This record gives sequence, structure tokens and C-alpha cells, in this order.
Amino acid sequence: MPVSTMVTKIARQVLTVIFVVALLTFIVGPLLWLAIRAFSTSWTYPRLLPDGWTLQWFGRVFDDPQLFSSIRLSIEFAITTLIVSSVICLPAAYAFSRFDFPGRRVFLIGLFATNAFPKTGLYVALAALFYAFNLMSTFGGVVVVHLLGTIVFMTWIPAAAFASVPRSFEEAARDAGGGRLRVFFTITLPLAMPGILVALIMSFLASFDEAQGTYLVGAPEFYTMPTEMYSLVLNYPRQVAAVFSILLSIPSVVLLMLVRKHVMGGQLAEGFQIR
Amino acid sequence: MARRHTGTGPGSRIKIGGLLMASPPIIVAAVFVGFPIIVAIAYSLGHVGGLNRTIATIARGQHTVGAWDRMSLGAYRDVFTDPRFTHDLGVTIIVTLIATLAVTALAWVIAVYLRTTPEGAWFRSGVAKLISGLAVVPMFIPVVIASWAMLTFYAADGFIRSLCADLGFQGPTWGYTMVCVAIGLVWTNLPFATLMITSGVQSVPDALIEAARDAGAGLLTIVRTVIAPLTIVPTVIALTFTAIGTLGAFTMPYFTGPNAPSMLGVDMVSYFRSYNRPQQSVVMAVVVFAVAAVFGAFYVWANFRSAKDSGRV
Repeated sequence: MPVSTMVTKIARQVLTVIFVVALLTFIVGPLLWLAIRAFSTSWTYPRLLPDGWTLQWFGRVFDDPQLFSSIRLSIEFAITTLIVSSVICLPAAYAFSRFDFPGRRVFLIGLFATNAFPKTGLYVALAALFYAFNLMSTFGGVVVVHLLGTIVFMTWIPAAAFASVPRSFEEAARDAGGGRLRVFFTITLPLAMPGILVALIMSFLASFDEAQGTYLVGAPEFYTMPTEMYSLVLNYPRQVAAVFSILLSIPSVVLLMLVRKHVMGGQLAEGFQIR
Repeated sequence: MARRHTGTGPGSRIKIGGLLMASPPIIVAAVFVGFPIIVAIAYSLGHVGGLNRTIATIARGQHTVGAWDRMSLGAYRDVFTDPRFTHDLGVTIIVTLIATLAVTALAWVIAVYLRTTPEGAWFRSGVAKLISGLAVVPMFIPVVIASWAMLTFYAADGFIRSLCADLGFQGPTWGYTMVCVAIGLVWTNLPFATLMITSGVQSVPDALIEAARDAGAGLLTIVRTVIAPLTIVPTVIALTFTAIGTLGAFTMPYFTGPNAPSMLGVDMVSYFRSYNRPQQSVVMAVVVFAVAAVFGAFYVWANFRSAKDSGRV
């Protein structure tokens, strides 16, 4: 290998390493910096590590009834949203992928348009109307806000998943004497399951992590974990906010790990193209 | 329900059945997105009767009209003559453009790196695995947490300043500035854009890239003439979603931004909740919708064009 090619190759590798280190610092740095604080007694600028280590802040969070109830409330909202959203959206997703009815495309794009409104603007418009419906600061009102964040996930991604199940499989099963429902539950549903699972988990997290709409519509009655963070960072020691951040991230990390392969493998990207 | 001859029979019962099954989410979207926006636009133009009555009785500083066929631009005048709003609108648009371009550029670099990594090159494939994993990390983290993490990292006593101080020079304090807001928005929007663009770039056939390479084309030429034209739609989807997400962002600018200027997401919430001036808040929402509509039209156009190209319409 000539010397000049060697030099370019090494220079290219050095540049790559710099890029990777920069990306690593940019993405993971802030999370690590925050997570370490949860275990610190105190932290003196400009040290790169805390002055001492402790677990006391975790006890502080678990002993605080208000913080603990926000954890429970978040889970209640997420599960309610998921059930309501499944009932409303999954049959529709199937219909969009398998039936040809008038206005199908227009409706599909129309649903997508719910995501085309900048969130805060939409919630402000919604909140103004919620006063008239008596939905301000109610459980139902917050569920509606969370539901809106899941509609596109729950129709588009499962619709793409149903559409990718070859019709010939279903027809073969029906020729073999399978009833319509039986074919659906033994052939179509299992094959579409990865996509549906991605949609379910994205929706669960969309509800679990939703903060701005919940704050606008739910406060002061309902403080979920994410909205609790708004006041937490002002009224508690910084270590408590760090502990709370770790707790709030656990469900997201665990659930997304479960479907990581499908999300990275293109289920999500597939689901966002008009068909 | 007519579910018997799926897809094959053109019977009208199937069509009605399909429409019925598909209608619940459409109704939800119409009632809780379409309808509120129409009512809100009416409110912003001074209509305080009907469904707007409740909010109108508790609001301050409203402009109202007496008849349904009239309208008042008073609230718009209030908002647009407020120098703070016009400044914030400008800042919001600039931050949106910067964040959107940065996210798309970064996603493209990652996608092209992954696509052009040859099999068996241990250094490159290791790097490829690492950066594709890194780019989706923000999807795992709730935005509230990300915002708080960004603030502490770039704050006056954060990591960047500490590191600089240890190396013997004065580092920048980005916490509570628009720089931190922009960095944070790039951070939160990176996974979606990367997934979209990576998936698009991956689907470019090997044969095309190899043919170009055999013809002596360099990396940049291949990207420009082969990969880019085939990846327009995913790129536009990534651009639109990032732009719309950034325009409507509240949490990131609320946590990490300065008191003034702030992004419109923060202004809307404070006008609504703190200043008790919902009409002006709704006016801002309408302005943000108008800006977003420009991006949204772009998206629908790109998607239709590709559907046409591949004969799906």
C-alpha cells in the first residue's frame, strides 16, 4: 500500500473517531451527567464527579406521597389511553388495509393531519373548547389529550402491518375451510403482530411521557410524572429531580428495548408512508 | 357487519362496512382536532357565543363581535403589535429552521455511513453499529427528562463548563439560552429523522450504487445522483415532522430557554394559563398552524409525487 493511501486512511479513521466521540458526548453525555447526580451527596463546580456518593435521594422520592401518587396516575392514564385507543383504532387499521371504501385515502391522510398541527397550538385550541364541555381538569379530558397523541401510531403502523400480510395466505386458509374470524385470528393477526406491538408500545409511551397537554388540561387536579417534573425541578433538591428522571425513564427504556429490533428494522418508517 | 368477501367483491355492503369500521378514529380526530380548531379560529376573530361562552366569561382583554357575520381582528392586532410576539415568532422560525436542517444533515451523514459500510470492514462496521444505536437513544427518553438533562449539562456548573475549566479556559454557558433550546430540539428529533432517512437510504438497490462506483463516481457523486433522488420522500417526511415538532415544542424551550425571547409554544401556554388571555393565545396558535401548513403541504405533495411515480395512485 502506498504511503499516501495509508495516510488518508489513518486521517479518515481519526476523523471518524472524533465524530463518534462528539456524537457520544452529545447524545449520552447529558443523560449520564443527570443520572450520576441522583447518587451524589453534593457536587462542587468544576469537578467532573460528585463530592460523595449516597442512595438517600431514592428513599426521599418513595417516601413522598405526592410523587408516588403521580407515578400511579401516569400508569393509570397510559393503560386507559391504550385500551381506548386500541378499541377505536385497530379495527379501523384493518379496514384501511383490507377494504376499499369511498374516501379511504382522504381519511387516511386526514388522520395524519392530526399530527400536522403543532402540539401546543392544538392543545390551546382544545383547552378553550374543554371549558364548554366541562372536560377541563378531568380524567376524561386528559385521556382525550393522550388519545390524540396515539391515533396516528395506532392506525398507520398497524394498517401497514395488516397490508403486508399476503392475501394469498388468508385465501389459502379460507380455501382449507377456515372461517373468516378464525383466519383473522390464526393467520392475519399473528403475522401483523410485530407492527401492532410497535404501535402499542409507541402509544403507551406517548401517553406515559406526555407533558405539555396534560399540564394545560389536567393541572391543577392531575399531576402525572412528567408534569410533576415541571414543579419538581423548582421545589426539590436537584438530586431528587435526577432520581425521578431515572424512574420515569425506566418504562420507556424497557419497553422500547423489547421492540427495538422492529423499530430499527423499519416498521416505524414503513408505517409513515402513504399507501 | 359485511366482512365476507374482503377486497374481492365490489358489493356496496362491504364498502359501507369498511367505512363503518374505519370511522371511529376519524370521528375522534374530527371532534377533538378539526372542530376545536374551527371553534378556536372563530374565537380568535371575536366570536364569544356558543361553545366559546365559558372561556370568554373568564378571559381578560378580549375583542368581541355582536353578530355571526362580523369579525374583529382586534386580537390579531394586539398580538402583532406586541414587539415581544414578533420577536418570538422570528426566533421560533429561526430555531425551527436551524434545528430541522441540523437534524436532517446529521441523519443523512449517519444513513450514508451505514449504507456505504462494506461487509467485513471491522472498524467501519463497528462504528456503524455504534452510531446507529446512539442515534435512536433519545427516543427512549421522555422529553421532560431530556430537557432537564440538557439544562444541567450545558448550565453554568454543567459538564461543558466544568471540562473547559479543568482544561484551563472559560467555557460557554448555554443553559437558559436559545443555543441550548436548539441543541435540545436537535437531540429529541434525531431518532425519528434517522430512522426515516436510514430506512430510505437502505432501500436504494446495491446494483445502482455499484454501477455508479464502477463508473468511477466518488462518494459525493453517488449520494447526489443515485441515493438522494431515491430518498426524497423519507427526507421530506423527516423534515416536515421535525419542523412541526419544533414549532409546537413547549417542554424543551420552557426548561432550557431564557425568559425572553422564548418560543411560541411557551408564549401560548403562559398567555393561556398565567396571563388569562386565551384569545391572544389562540391567535398565536392560529399563526403557528399557518406556518405549519406550509410544511405540511410540502409533505403531502412529496408523498403524492412518489405514489404517482410508483403507480400507486
